[in-house]
Amino acid sequence: MLKNNIDSNRLEVVGYDPTILSCGNFLVLDNDIAEISCNINGLHIYPLVKALEHIQHVRDNLFFKLVDKDKNDYTRKAFESDPVGYYIKVDPGIKLEEPVQAAFLLCTPDSTQIIHNIIELGDNSQLNIVNGCTTARHENRGRHIGITEIYLRKGSRLGYTMLHSWGADVEVFPFGVTEVEEKGRFISNYVGMTSVKKIVSYPVAYVKKQGSARFYSVIYARPESNFDMGAKAVLEGDEASGEIISRVVSEGGNVTSRQMLDGRVSGSLGHMECSGLMLNDHGVIHSIPELRGAHPDIHLSHEASVGRISTEELSYLMTRGLSEEQARALIIRGFLDIKIEGIPAKVQQLIDDAIERSISGTI
Amino acid sequence: MALLNIKDLHVNVAGKEIIRGIDLEIEEGRTAVIFGPNGSGKSTLMGAIAGLPGYDVTKGLIEYKGHDIKQLSTDDRARLGIGLSYQYPPAVKGVRLRTLLESMTSDREIIPEYADMLNLSGYLDRDINVGFSGGERKRSEVLQLMVQTPDLMLLDEPESGVDIENISIIANALKSLLEKEKPITKRTRSALIITHTGFILDYLRADVAHVIMNGRVLGCGSPSEIFEEIRLNGYSKCSNCFAEQFKENNIC
Repeated sequence: MLKNNIDSNRLEVVGYDPTILSCGNFLVLDNDIAEISCNINGLHIYPLVKALEHIQHVRDNLFFKLVDKDKNDYTRKAFESDPVGYYIKVDPGIKLEEPVQAAFLLCTPDSTQIIHNIIELGDNSQLNIVNGCTTARHENRGRHIGITEIYLRKGSRLGYTMLHSWGADVEVFPFGVTEVEEKGRFISNYVGMTSVKKIVSYPVAYVKKQGSARFYSVIYARPESNFDMGAKAVLEGDEASGEIISRVVSEGGNVTSRQMLDGRVSGSLGHMECSGLMLNDHGVIHSIPELRGAHPDIHLSHEASVGRISTEELSYLMTRGLSEEQARALIIRGFLDIKIEGIPAKVQQLIDDAIERSISGTI
Repeated sequence: MALLNIKDLHVNVAGKEIIRGIDLEIEEGRTAVIFGPNGSGKSTLMGAIAGLPGYDVTKGLIEYKGHDIKQLSTDDRARLGIGLSYQYPPAVKGVRLRTLLESMTSDREIIPEYADMLNLSGYLDRDINVGFSGGERKRSEVLQLMVQTPDLMLLDEPESGVDIENISIIANALKSLLEKEKPITKRTRSALIITHTGFILDYLRADVAHVIMNGRVLGCGSPSEIFEEIRLNGYSKCSNCFAEQFKENNIC
């Protein structure tokens, strides 16, 4: 157990386990930083408020420079609040395999947690971050507002994984913008595991010359859940590429899945897949894939589907002796099973575990 | 007692009667083959025995190991020992072949061994049948049967779309599964095979052949003699001669 009678299991569910090997840790309970550690030379993890106080570069060049503080009421509220969150910096050339673990726990019922994180990777550096967000108790009510600004300098690579396990009465409003400089690589993974009253998220990546942005999301929407999720990759440098893969299962929840690839210059290359699986007739999956091309020499494509489990596939597995329940579970697990290139096995395992948790107990 | 005993079976598909009163028995340890023209009801018969959805038994008996199984679900029948090799197995995106096989057996060590036997080692971690050629799909079907080890195998055209070399691989695996190395009286596993080309019979000896036309069994007899008759004269010319032959040589 952590202090304040917080059940550490809630944190482990979202990938936060200080006992396993990592580059560093960062834990926020409500709006207070509870743990912060950094174990590697060349990696710097600061409370954002301290970074703003002591590092002019953060103040002048990074803070609310990608996310518009006037975008809406939530961003304005975040701008007006004392910043709680991290500034993570990796020095040029430093390549780290073990992830930084961060978790944001909403402990007090009916409270609002406002988080602002800034990540900056120096030229040719590499980092993985696992951000877990959850409530101390599943039945808690509350609100989480998150601002994330990510700066990937030339040739750097970031694997950014978000594991969400909110309560059924929590509203979540993350706003994330990433700038990918020349030959930079951004891999964003999102897994939504539990019921949530409402979550609205539409992260955007601006990709420069020969850079890439890849967004993967897995959502298991239980009854009464409302997800309005998506991603946008703006390919604004020559030969920039983007990929958006979305897998949504609705067990009665409502999901709007918005994806956009915006190819603006020569050589833009992008692909998106938006697949939805309906387990019953109570929920809605609204898939909105968008392609925008502003140059003739681009190649953007998408595949989208929403449907139920195929009866033929189900009976095929049942001829092998699997019960209908087992066959459905196998198909759903397979549907949600995303293997992501370029992330460490440990992070992939965390994602797999999160997906497994999202399925188990409901089928 | 017959392993499978079908009496006066009538089966509808999409409201249309396809099987119109079939009688058929398969003894324990025996391999039976079904011949019949396209649309005669062969695959429908297998679907009805396996309990696939959409195959509505409107009349008759399907007795397996002494129990009427008509009311049992597909998976219950599979667990009782009925295995089906599909003519056109579906692709199951996202589900790896290995995952399915591991969910079918507690003895995971046999999986790579059998996969190697069927030249499918490189396919275990691929999604089931996704991007598989026709021959690879058929080998995958047999691999699944080997892991399932059913007592009654329903093989719907196991060699169609398969090259000669791979027919041999499939047939050898089936021979092993059907315990063909043992004397017939010692075999416990049975099979019902649909074949159009008859190629599989060059490798896998069948004990008896049944001819189905228009949803009825005309009769049964020696697999090689009946196949030769079909090869020479076709089905339409031979429907009467089959009937005559069956009357004269009732070996079933």
